[in-house]
Amino acid sequence: KMEYKLRKAEPRDVSDILRLVKELAKYEEMEHQVTLTEQELLEDGFGDTPFYHCIIAEIQGANSSDEPKVVGFAMYYFTYDPWVGKQLYLEDFYVMDECRGLGIGSEILRHLSNLAMKTRCTGMMFVVAENNEPSVQFYKRRGAEDLSQEEGWRLFRFDKDSLVKMATPPEE
Amino acid sequence: MDFSIRAANLDDCKDIARMIMVSGHVRACVRPNLEQDGFSKNPFFHGIIAEVPEQHRTREGHTKIGYALYFYSYSSFVGRSIYMEDLYVMPEFRGKGVGKALMSKVAQLALAAGCHQLNFTVLDWNKPSMDFYLSQGCFNVTSSLGCHCMRCEGEALEHLAQP
Repeated sequence: KMEYKLRKAEPRDVSDILRLVKELAKYEEMEHQVTLTEQELLEDGFGDTPFYHCIIAEIQGANSSDEPKVVGFAMYYFTYDPWVGKQLYLEDFYVMDECRGLGIGSEILRHLSNLAMKTRCTGMMFVVAENNEPSVQFYKRRGAEDLSQEEGWRLFRFDKDSLVKMATPPEE
Repeated sequence: MDFSIRAANLDDCKDIARMIMVSGHVRACVRPNLEQDGFSKNPFFHGIIAEVPEQHRTREGHTKIGYALYFYSYSSFVGRSIYMEDLYVMPEFRGKGVGKALMSKVAQLALAAGCHQLNFTVLDWNKPSMDFYLSQGCFNVTSSLGCHCMRCEGEALEHLAQP
């Protein structure tokens, strides 16, 4: 029986966080889109004003002298909807293939929901790709509503190039 | 038409709340506590205001005629990002570049903070808004990548939090 534990991420975890981010991106067939670096993860997560927070799931090695192995993570931050207040936004949530079925995912979600309630968030939000059937079902089973389907929410994005264009004042 | 764009301050909350209420938000019920949530030591959002000079004030005497609310977020793909929660211009002041100017300011702030993308949501029935945004150079992540926005709230959230 594999023992695991959840804990807050520390600066030393950035290389494992990036490894798991890339594994999740690979599963979503978008691995070449990850340009984030360990340095950015370090500055952005562990500086004076963190842009994100992370919890880590690690399993104990076979021998007590073995280093624990990081096998899952969740990356989240706080957002705001003027009507319903603070929300906890779940950016990434992943457990390595070989460690699934042990309840790690459910435990991470329970921990985050608890944290959301403790910090007076009225909801937990995230995006899922509609073709990711296992994930969509995982969340719907737990009572998540699909706001895109039910209320017509469409996520729009300006990437870096279009941001630069928009930030430049028009020629007089 | 002359107008100015600037960072919102505590005194703007009344006007922001007024514009939120009239923008016909689906979940409209109680007035949000913008003062506490946006202007205390650890704000959950930031605001920018569009203002017109006195001679262009509305019939009711308002000079603050548009706003945007945003906060910093993070993408596991590209890192620092900005999320625009609200963008609104009073109907009688539309078509004069105010919306574009508000978004331009948000884009400037995003780049100054080292952000790589600006995200926001639009409701699918809001065709004028969708057309406006697409004309500014963004893309529809929901239709191109199939991303659906999900939320767990109320009883479902409480249930999830239980051991």
